[in-house]
Amino acid sequence: MDIETLARGLHPLEIRVLRACPERGEAEEKQVRSEAGLEEGQFRRAVQWLLSKEIVAVVREEVVETIRLTELGKAFAAKGTPEMQLLARAAAMPGLTVPECTAGFDLPEEEVRAAFGKLRKLDALRIAGGGVELNQGADIGPFERVSALIARLAGQAGAALAALPADEQETVRSLVHKRMRAKGVFYLERATNLVFALTAAGAEVRAKAFALGLRGEEVSRLTPEMLRDGSWRGKTFRKYSVDFAPPRRVLARRHPYREFLDFVKSKLTSMGFVEMRGPLVECEFWNMDALFMPQFHAAREIHDAYFVKAPTHAARLEPDFLAQVAAAHENGGESGGRGWRYTFDRERTRRLVLRTQGTALSARQLGLGALVPGRYFAMARCFRPDTVDATHACDFFQCEGIALGEEINFRTLLGLLALFATEVAKAEEVKFVPAYFPFTEPSVEAHIRHPRLGWIELGGAGIFRPEVTYPLGVKAPVLAWGLGLDRMAMVALKINDIRELFSRDLDALRTRRLELELY
Amino acid sequence: MPTISCSERDLLALIGEELDRDRLLSLLPLAKASFDGEEDGKLRIELQDTNRPDLWSCEGIARQIRARLRGALPAYPFFRARPPRAGGRIEVDAGLAAIRPIVGAFIARGVRVDEATLVQIIQTQEKLCEGYGHKRREAAMGVYDASAIAFPVRYRAARPEEARFVPLGFEEPMTLEEILREHPKGREYRRLVEACPRYPLLEDAAGTVLSFPPIINSRALGEVAVGDDNLFVEVTGHDLQVVALVLNIMACNFADRGWKIVPITAVYPYDTAAGREVTIPMDIACTLEVPLAGINQALGLTLAGKEVRELLRAYGVAAQLKPRGIVRATAPAYRADYMHPADVIEDIAICRGYDGFAPLMPAAFTVGGLAPSTLFADRVRQELVGYGFQEVFSNVLMSREEARTRLRIDAPLVEIENYVADTYAVVRDRLLVSLLRVEAASTKAQYPHQIFEVGEVAVYDEAAVHGSRTEDRAAALMASGEAGFSDMHSYLDALMYFLARDYRLESRDAPFAIEGRAAVVRVGDKEVGVIAELHPEVLTAWGLEAPAAYFEINLSALA
Repeated sequence: MDIETLARGLHPLEIRVLRACPERGEAEEKQVRSEAGLEEGQFRRAVQWLLSKEIVAVVREEVVETIRLTELGKAFAAKGTPEMQLLARAAAMPGLTVPECTAGFDLPEEEVRAAFGKLRKLDALRIAGGGVELNQGADIGPFERVSALIARLAGQAGAALAALPADEQETVRSLVHKRMRAKGVFYLERATNLVFALTAAGAEVRAKAFALGLRGEEVSRLTPEMLRDGSWRGKTFRKYSVDFAPPRRVLARRHPYREFLDFVKSKLTSMGFVEMRGPLVECEFWNMDALFMPQFHAAREIHDAYFVKAPTHAARLEPDFLAQVAAAHENGGESGGRGWRYTFDRERTRRLVLRTQGTALSARQLGLGALVPGRYFAMARCFRPDTVDATHACDFFQCEGIALGEEINFRTLLGLLALFATEVAKAEEVKFVPAYFPFTEPSVEAHIRHPRLGWIELGGAGIFRPEVTYPLGVKAPVLAWGLGLDRMAMVALKINDIRELFSRDLDALRTRRLELELY
Repeated sequence: MPTISCSERDLLALIGEELDRDRLLSLLPLAKASFDGEEDGKLRIELQDTNRPDLWSCEGIARQIRARLRGALPAYPFFRARPPRAGGRIEVDAGLAAIRPIVGAFIARGVRVDEATLVQIIQTQEKLCEGYGHKRREAAMGVYDASAIAFPVRYRAARPEEARFVPLGFEEPMTLEEILREHPKGREYRRLVEACPRYPLLEDAAGTVLSFPPIINSRALGEVAVGDDNLFVEVTGHDLQVVALVLNIMACNFADRGWKIVPITAVYPYDTAAGREVTIPMDIACTLEVPLAGINQALGLTLAGKEVRELLRAYGVAAQLKPRGIVRATAPAYRADYMHPADVIEDIAICRGYDGFAPLMPAAFTVGGLAPSTLFADRVRQELVGYGFQEVFSNVLMSREEARTRLRIDAPLVEIENYVADTYAVVRDRLLVSLLRVEAASTKAQYPHQIFEVGEVAVYDEAAVHGSRTEDRAAALMASGEAGFSDMHSYLDALMYFLARDYRLESRDAPFAIEGRAAVVRVGDKEVGVIAELHPEVLTAWGLEAPAAYFEINLSALA
């Protein structure tokens, strides 16, 4: 930044500090501050800003130790130190017993006892015959000096330790951390006093600011009062440093994973798909039987669906296609096939489970009456018993749907998948491989070349078997598809753990963003 | 989906052509197979089709690829062989009718078992019996050195404490009862027989036990070793179709390695689906008639009859062209998946190759749109974001303790019978729990917290058809040093105003609320929600450090 921009961008506080700074040589923090007439907080902020802009530089930091009296020290100042008081009493009333001699002072008892002990140790007091006596020959100079120092400090807010004579400094240090005393007599406050100086550039900025007539009196905030009374006229507004990092705000936002699902939904509706919804608790009939999954199918065992504890069975099937679906399983019914050839369990079909696949909604839609031509999709919460870890969820979303129409055939199936690949997954390339689903024939899996992930599976699809559609009264071909979105969502959210799609950490939710261009 | 491992060399030898790796992998889709990496120098291959167990082996995959490369049907003459003379027979006891009624077997001879073949036999046996055979219930297999067996073999129902033999893996003879109790395989599979008064037993003419199906083979006869060149392969089960299919697949697999297959006839004192004398391998081939026009319509192509015939043949399916444009397709005897003409059509598509189809955009015009309930829910989400609430999005499964105990509620809810972990054992019936879960995990996040969720809950309801109702709910919660009832009342008031719903609050205590600081939200004569300042005991149970108030609205009742 050039000198003028820097000068114009100075905060009024900064200008006031610069005005108080000597043009050349060192400036001591305390002095500058008192000259600038700033409060400590304001002053420190301004100096920090100047330092960060390299207008001033630190020459050195001086540690300043200031002594103050503690509450105890103040009591000594008011009433005399216990040592001096004991000496005075012993001189005035020789021969007192020890308790008599130490009683009746308006000072903490332990202080008096400690002082008495010290005086005895230095032989200033003696216990002889009748009681306590003063030793006239003892040197009581140190006690007098401490007493005088306390008296002197009592008049001041604080004194610089360095300004005291060496022997007094030593006395102070010894009484700050004095043992056996709950509180010392003196506080010793350590503060750093910054010594700084203008940098070469800083001197130019300062000169420039003065030349521009900046006095540190520019208007910082435009207030409603100024607007009302027009007092803003003729004033200069301080220019801001616009590249300062702003403070972070806590904002309210959509959940990033839902934002992703919303995006996919908008894509699907734009392609002519109508949303389907349905119950979380589903009966096996819609979840599996209507989809021609035989009741002995391996994917219907206890470890592949969550079964509801109570009630265990649906009261009835709504709408009721039991006879038709049972016939499809047993002998093909009217579908033109021969069926799985087993006895369909009409009780088990009402067994309640947590929906395991979004295709259950497609089956329901066919039963409820689907338009031909018609396109439907669901963003359905599904459940599978699984041990939850970074790559497995037991409660997740599936994106599935159907398309009905006389024009539906294997090629239009691939056409729709290719459309999903470009529209939803932004894939550059798509390839199709044979797959198996109990409810579709032919079945296909679409693999896409993703710009970041390489070849991944986009989803599975197929043409519903007539054993699925005929019993539900649908004669037109129906294409069924499902898309695997989680990996794409995780890329767009920059997460590696599937559990974080449903993160409970508010801090993460407040800062995680969806980067749709990434996936 | 089954995954098998096989050596590339073995696979190529069975295909009968030298193919480079890329070419080999490009042919795997013919078998709905995908390459899943290498392990110990072997290819791991995943098979998609749970209804095509013939593909679950190195031999099966090779067979499907070989048919395509040669464009010819594989020849398995033994499916049309005459039943053998008396001797190579199995005699079945009447007592098995109610226990495990079906048995079938064949003999394979003429090649010495090597290490690779043995590994493949064991792998295929495991995939067929554990997977396709539903953990041995529908198919259990034993393979024996046929040279040591005195024919005819007898399949009889034995009393649990009567028959004794030394099972594989043990040194001492044990009764059938002891085997179920003490042998690891006995414990694993005893559920298949323990309810029966007698157990199945295979013995040879000399009375030596072959095995105790479906549990364990005997040590005396039931152990195949490298170098054996005469094998007896037996399968027991309940459904002749399944038993025959499994044995047919095994027979084809041996034949593909050059073994000669000798059929065995089982003689029953009761009726089976194929009478009282059943010879295995058995031709169970299924024939379907498909109109050519239907094939072309389904595939969006204009194939000629001859092209269809060639494509089917190259997929191992015999096809004949009949008058009036009918294609008669007969699946090979190692497949039992032909149920509908659609299955034939898929075979044609796979053989032709999916990349040979030009995708075609469906042209019909349809009007898309979100469900009305979603549109309403999205409106509420937008409102709440605008009011300064951060959206959260949660799992709906949780622990019973969270959904009940910590809220001081004790009403029934939708519980999972076979939950895996008790942290995912019930379905939430109110969003409050989800919001509290976020709060509990976020006590370090800067306050105030304002969060909301719009989502589904399942409310237990005995009168409902499914015993529960799935509802769309919206709930918002505020947590901070100052949060209280009136804050949330203001937001609720704003929400109801902008949704144009007249509501009123009716004071009613809730177990999770401070007494006198909770209400139900009414619109007309319907209760549509609740608003409450949360009880300190609830906050403490969740480990929360700030007061919180919340409301929850049933959008399904409000829409």
